[in-house]
Amino acid sequence: MTLMEKYTLIITEKPDAAQRIAEALDSKGKPKKAEEKTVPYFMANRDKPLVVVPALGHLYTVVHEHGRRNYYPVFNFKWAPRHLAEKGAKQIKTWIDIIAKLAENADGFIDACDFDIEGAIIGYTILKHACKDKDAVATRMKYSTLMKAELEKSYADQMPHLDFAMIEAGRTRHEVDWLYGVNVSRALTLAANRWSGRYSTLSTGRVQGPTLKFLVARERSIHSFVPIPYWSILAEVEIRGSKYLVDYEKKTMERKADADAVVEACKGKTGQIEKIEEKTMQVTPPIPFDLGSLQSEAYSLFGYTPSRTGGIAERLYLEALISYPRTSSQKLPPVIGYKDILSGLSREPAYQKLAAELLEKGELKPREGPKEDPAHPAVYPTGNTPSRVLDESERRIWDLVVRRFMAVFGEPGVKQSMKASINVNGHHFYLRGRRILKEGWMRFYKPYLRTEEVSLPAIKEGETIRLSNIGREDKFTKPPPRYNPSSLLKRMEEEGIGTKATRAEIIETLYSRKYVTEERIVVTDLGFDVIEVLRKYAPGVISVKLTRDLEEKMDRIQNNLEKRENILLEAVERLKPVLTELKQREEVIGEALSNAIKRARMQERIIGECPSCHTGKLMILFSRRTKKRFIGCTNYFKGACKTSFPLPQRGTTKPTGKLCKGCGWPLLFVHIRGKRPWNLCFNPNCPKKEERRKRLEMQGLQQTSPDSK
Amino acid sequence: MKCKVCSRQAQTQSEYCEFHEKAYQNISQKFEVWKRASGVDWKEYLREVAKNQFTGTWAKEVAESLLSKEA
Repeated sequence: MTLMEKYTLIITEKPDAAQRIAEALDSKGKPKKAEEKTVPYFMANRDKPLVVVPALGHLYTVVHEHGRRNYYPVFNFKWAPRHLAEKGAKQIKTWIDIIAKLAENADGFIDACDFDIEGAIIGYTILKHACKDKDAVATRMKYSTLMKAELEKSYADQMPHLDFAMIEAGRTRHEVDWLYGVNVSRALTLAANRWSGRYSTLSTGRVQGPTLKFLVARERSIHSFVPIPYWSILAEVEIRGSKYLVDYEKKTMERKADADAVVEACKGKTGQIEKIEEKTMQVTPPIPFDLGSLQSEAYSLFGYTPSRTGGIAERLYLEALISYPRTSSQKLPPVIGYKDILSGLSREPAYQKLAAELLEKGELKPREGPKEDPAHPAVYPTGNTPSRVLDESERRIWDLVVRRFMAVFGEPGVKQSMKASINVNGHHFYLRGRRILKEGWMRFYKPYLRTEEVSLPAIKEGETIRLSNIGREDKFTKPPPRYNPSSLLKRMEEEGIGTKATRAEIIETLYSRKYVTEERIVVTDLGFDVIEVLRKYAPGVISVKLTRDLEEKMDRIQNNLEKRENILLEAVERLKPVLTELKQREEVIGEALSNAIKRARMQERIIGECPSCHTGKLMILFSRRTKKRFIGCTNYFKGACKTSFPLPQRGTTKPTGKLCKGCGWPLLFVHIRGKRPWNLCFNPNCPKKEERRKRLEMQGLQQTSPDSK
Repeated sequence: MKCKVCSRQAQTQSEYCEFHEKAYQNISQKFEVWKRASGVDWKEYLREVAKNQFTGTWAKEVAESLLSKEA
């Protein structure tokens, strides 16, 4: 075909998806790839000529309709190309121009973006704006995997029009988020800037605010926590030369004297086995992964953040190895073809035996969870095997999805637990063991199971046993645990705020805004003060209840039960009094936030404890007299410590939070333009430096000695 | 009035800001539990709380401030 003929233009969300769709739909499986100004597109032939062109995610976004950037409230907005609103998005213009050009010669339009809210908006805005109102005539392809057969079926059974309810829900979500984000962020930023006279951006969002509020609430409980002492008994028995730990009948004791009394009564005594109980229990197979549970499992097994897992799953989907991952479904309908998937997987040596075992079963019936998603099933492997070597993280996520898929078809497992009750001087101790009697589904999921078998020796009731060791263990109650990215995501899910597509991204934003730090999340002073300001002057903005309420109403739009206009009006009406209050209190808010920014900037320059006085902190400082930067101790200002070290004067320097392996002093990250960045140990007596100097000297000697010639 | 521990505004009818007041309340409430559990007096209790690894930062600051008052 040539671009002179009329063709159907198919729009996809990403270039990889465009290539897969073109390959699946071309009658010879070999579409022609073209590229214009770095924008790729594919020409295929089927019942008629097809041109498949990808987007680059969102090409359009919500922007302020007109006016300056430095005032609020702003309630007038429009959808515009992203390059007009965002710095560094220049390639978007080229992309839109090429799609617009391809649209001119097209006589049919198909939206083949991912079938969810974000995909619906991406396709709709391109058809509406770049293709000039073709949203009204376009059809829709719906698929959950990029497998040839499914894409062909999806092309043959196109939906006659776009899913306008889903589009309305998506538009509303983006517009409401824009109204909240722009107005409240501007209020905070302007208050701080007017007070301090220095520019710095502060942001919050409709979901970001309530999420940070969870973290601040947890941080407050941790900071004001007072532990309570309690005691437990540690004891060991000896059976035929081997020692076994036993549990005391009371797990904890509130009084030290009570624990001491138990130790006193049982020390050096023998006991008798009064009773041996055995229990068997069924262990049901797990349920299929939705995005949240996949992210949670990958975090607990591999330590991957939810956004990292989301990114890896997206890549595996684009390579047709797994189904669409942004799903909240825990169902696997038979239509996905269980047997075909398992046959496909059996080509991979690691799964050959396991898949064969399932294929031998007469009927395959998965265990499913309660959650449903009208657009997609749960995450499952397509049955394709990788066509390239996957990197370690991709291989791990793929293996996890494959094994979970097989496990849901497995038989229930059977576990046995044993408990021997030993009476020592009137006190009861329990010897416990556990073992797996039947593996069932656990065979498929073995690498990811955390159960440990504990075998017991052969014992019988009435047998006398010596308590070989007993002692008191002093313990304290612990503060509530800090959230990690995975548990925070779970909390957001439970509270019903954000969507499966946005939650991981919101958590990343909290890190990039420097409101939180560390993997076990610690709220920074800045994060703390932003929430404190909002709690005092704009509680509605961080209210979980109001946020959830709005989420539910937006969900109703998708089912044609609510109108976009009503939600937008409601959002504006909620925002108006909040913004008035923020404006009236601008001075006091500005002062609080400016101080927080100042403290945060100060914190960023702190390198670590001063190695000389051990009470001050080393900081990156700037001398007004010499106009040079250096490292100095904070105790210098109190006249208590004069420790200082020189620093490179060019480039950027910042603390790494890591310690030098040679001397244990804190390391600095140095980056000078045009040079490779490095970690600097500023200790002039660091043994590593001496080693390096000697090594260089040796090299120099070798080069100049006659033998080396 | 400023908080006795930090530079924040103290709560009305309190020597502490909102954060340190909460920590103070926790310290006061838990003394009876500690006394019953291990028989410590108020001063010993404050010393234990101030050096305990699980005590929160604000609670530690309040315990230290109360200890200095005791001395």
